[in-house]
Amino acid sequence: MSDIIIELRDLTKQFGNAHILRGVDLAIPRGSVVGLLGTNGSGKTTLIKCMLGLLRRNTGQSLLFGQDSWSLSPDIKARIGYVPQVISFFPWIRVRDLIRYTASFYPKWNDDLCQRMIRDWDIPADQRISTLSVGQVQKTAILLAVGHDPDLLILDEPAAALDPIARRQFLQLLIDLAAPGRRTVLFSTHLTTDLERVADRVAVLKTGQVAWFGLLDDLKEQTHLNLEDSFLEMHHA
Amino acid sequence: MTFHVEPSSSVPISRQIAEQIRAQCASGQLNPGDRLPSVRVLAHELAVNQNTILRVYERLTAEALLERRHGDGTYVCDRLPAGRLRVQRDYIRQELRRQIDQARMAGMTEEDLHKTIAEAFTEEQV
Repeated sequence: MSDIIIELRDLTKQFGNAHILRGVDLAIPRGSVVGLLGTNGSGKTTLIKCMLGLLRRNTGQSLLFGQDSWSLSPDIKARIGYVPQVISFFPWIRVRDLIRYTASFYPKWNDDLCQRMIRDWDIPADQRISTLSVGQVQKTAILLAVGHDPDLLILDEPAAALDPIARRQFLQLLIDLAAPGRRTVLFSTHLTTDLERVADRVAVLKTGQVAWFGLLDDLKEQTHLNLEDSFLEMHHA
Repeated sequence: MTFHVEPSSSVPISRQIAEQIRAQCASGQLNPGDRLPSVRVLAHELAVNQNTILRVYERLTAEALLERRHGDGTYVCDRLPAGRLRVQRDYIRQELRRQIDQARMAGMTEEDLHKTIAEAFTEEQV
């Protein structure tokens, strides 16, 4: 088994005349926690959707666990957890039933983890989705994405709607889930402070390409700047 | 033992933690044979990535400051007393380097610094 979990080579994607991704190269090793950083409209969501096979790339290569993103086998799909940026659940379904429904698609499901998250995050399991706040919906989406103990977890702006307390709980959950050498996590964000705590690696997306990828500590040792200042500097370069 | 982490600092988190462990070993807050929290526990407590903690422990193990006992955990090295002086000197040298950088940025020369250090010593004696 390869130790590169996500492998992108010269990946491009355009919508009409808009070139969103202009040759993305990225190789993410097993067990790393990668923060994908970019301004609004830099192509973070498009990149995530291409690597998951939710959007078809134009050219280049995209492999997850060594398989082409566009034709992932069910076995590989069962090893991936994904929280999209825009979450849409049936408004009439109760949270508890939604969890049961989602669990039924997977060969294994971690009930203990789900119970713990419902308790720790005050998720109102007996309420219908339509009565939940934005933050509660996001928490539910995160729960559903980790319930099957995925080997690869991809989250698109996961903490955007969370208040500071839920955010810290979420970051701690991510830290606990990302045990060294096992689970690989990639999350996009434009918030550098979240990233600095949780991620050990950072990929900076700029004008459709990866402007920098590597260990966060190395970036700081090289630049003597914090992440936000580095990011601003890369952007003005 | 308590550690404090400033994620938005320009100093890498792993360096922040490593320096605190070094400082605590140098000052005697941490002693030979003391057990450090597990990677998982410390990562959760500080809300920082487990790989970061792992790297800190690995680095300090390579420096022979810490010792990883298989399946048991991470301890301050038993042979530390012999190395403590070196650890202290390394730590102080590092701190000095940082101060020197700051002094340079403030426009101080080496001479200015020597004078300032001498003055500080005299103040101490008063």
